[in-house]
Amino acid sequence: MIDETREDRLIETFATLADTLVAGYDVVELLQTLVESCAGLFDIAAAGILLADENGELEVVASTSEASRLVEVMQLSARAGPCVECFITGSVVSLPDVEDSPLAWRRFRDSAREQGFAAVHAIPLRLRETTIGALNLLSTVPGALRQQDVRAAQALADVATIGILQERTLRESNSVREQLTIALNSRVLIEQAKGVISHSRGVSMEDAFALLRNHARSNHLLLSQVAQGLVDQTLVI
Amino acid sequence: MRDQFAVAEKALSALTGSESRLFEPFLGVLPVDGVSISTFGDFLPDETISASDAQSMRLDELQFDLGEGPSWDALETGAPVFEPNIRERPNRVWPAFSEAIIADDLGALFAFPLSLGPLRIGAIDLYTSRPSHLSDLNIQHTAALATVVSRLVLARAIRLSQSDIKGETDTRKQFSRREVHQATGMVLAQLGISALDARLIIQGHAFAVGRSVQEIAEEIIDRRLTFAVNENQIEGSHD
Repeated sequence: MIDETREDRLIETFATLADTLVAGYDVVELLQTLVESCAGLFDIAAAGILLADENGELEVVASTSEASRLVEVMQLSARAGPCVECFITGSVVSLPDVEDSPLAWRRFRDSAREQGFAAVHAIPLRLRETTIGALNLLSTVPGALRQQDVRAAQALADVATIGILQERTLRESNSVREQLTIALNSRVLIEQAKGVISHSRGVSMEDAFALLRNHARSNHLLLSQVAQGLVDQTLVI
Repeated sequence: MRDQFAVAEKALSALTGSESRLFEPFLGVLPVDGVSISTFGDFLPDETISASDAQSMRLDELQFDLGEGPSWDALETGAPVFEPNIRERPNRVWPAFSEAIIADDLGALFAFPLSLGPLRIGAIDLYTSRPSHLSDLNIQHTAALATVVSRLVLARAIRLSQSDIKGETDTRKQFSRREVHQATGMVLAQLGISALDARLIIQGHAFAVGRSVQEIAEEIIDRRLTFAVNENQIEGSHD
């Protein structure tokens, strides 16, 4: 019963992602849609996607919440935790109970515990032999992901990778590295635009992000276009 | 003249990493015999960054040693100082500096402040060996070029300080980025400037008060620190 409705939702998600890939899109928006889909599809409380920068450091480019605490737990996981393990090995890393974290992961464990996360799963974003980042799924209840969930999550992670590559082809840039830099820079622009809105509207960074996205959606603009306009001060929201 | 100015502006921007040659573009567009660019004041050490000749270098050193002179006045008031005939008909007499240059081969002396946002960085000194004036266009050009130089000199200071404390910045980097970008957005909106200048002001302010960029970014996001424009001068203020 549950599986049937979830199958519908999965089909719906892939259809949405496919539509996005065919039409114009920007990477951050695509990845944002993807993490939000994960939150609806799996039994999890939060999701995020991290990409490696030119130094091989993982940066959060999309997450289900913009709250700095959530971003922090994912960054800690990317430093010494399941996320970096997944990135290095190129395979799924599941931590069904964060209390079982090895000593080296204690900062990640403390941060996860503090925010009520009990289990974390990291799924690699793979491009042939190279891993370019990871999808993180965080749950408030301990336990492993079901096998079909792992498969679905890996398929979504692959779509994310395709999205990044597809945009690369559109821009005719030369390397995956360059494409990752574009995605990460696009995130920088969005953070700056959040600051602009936060100042001009006197709102929190989270609310600023919501205003930014709403504006992009209702005006059929790309998130990065709106962000650029705000930073250049040619657009006021 | 406008073309020459555009060339000078472009030439300045290309001198990142070769700041000792910053004087060169000035000599191309201004009717002066010598140029020097120096840092001093609140937070940068007394240092001649670039000087076209020995006389320019000497003018800087005298002012560093004596703690007075046109450069100091320019930086303090945020406005240029003009002395078209400094030895025979000075507009202003400095007790020690005026005495010290009495035997120098000097006609006119002009000083322009270097600053960016709330940060007082240093000054540009220009001299001619015979009395002379700067035209309004000369003054406009010099002020515009001074802004470019301010950016370059501040970026240089930050670059050098970062290589001193590289270990510290590396470990902080990972968590600092988002907040720093958000704070950059807030400052650019507060001052109506570019993202690059806003970022530089945050870094420069952190450097000036001896705190990390991350801490300053958090203060800005929490609205404990804002940069407001007051009568053509940008000031940082704490609530």
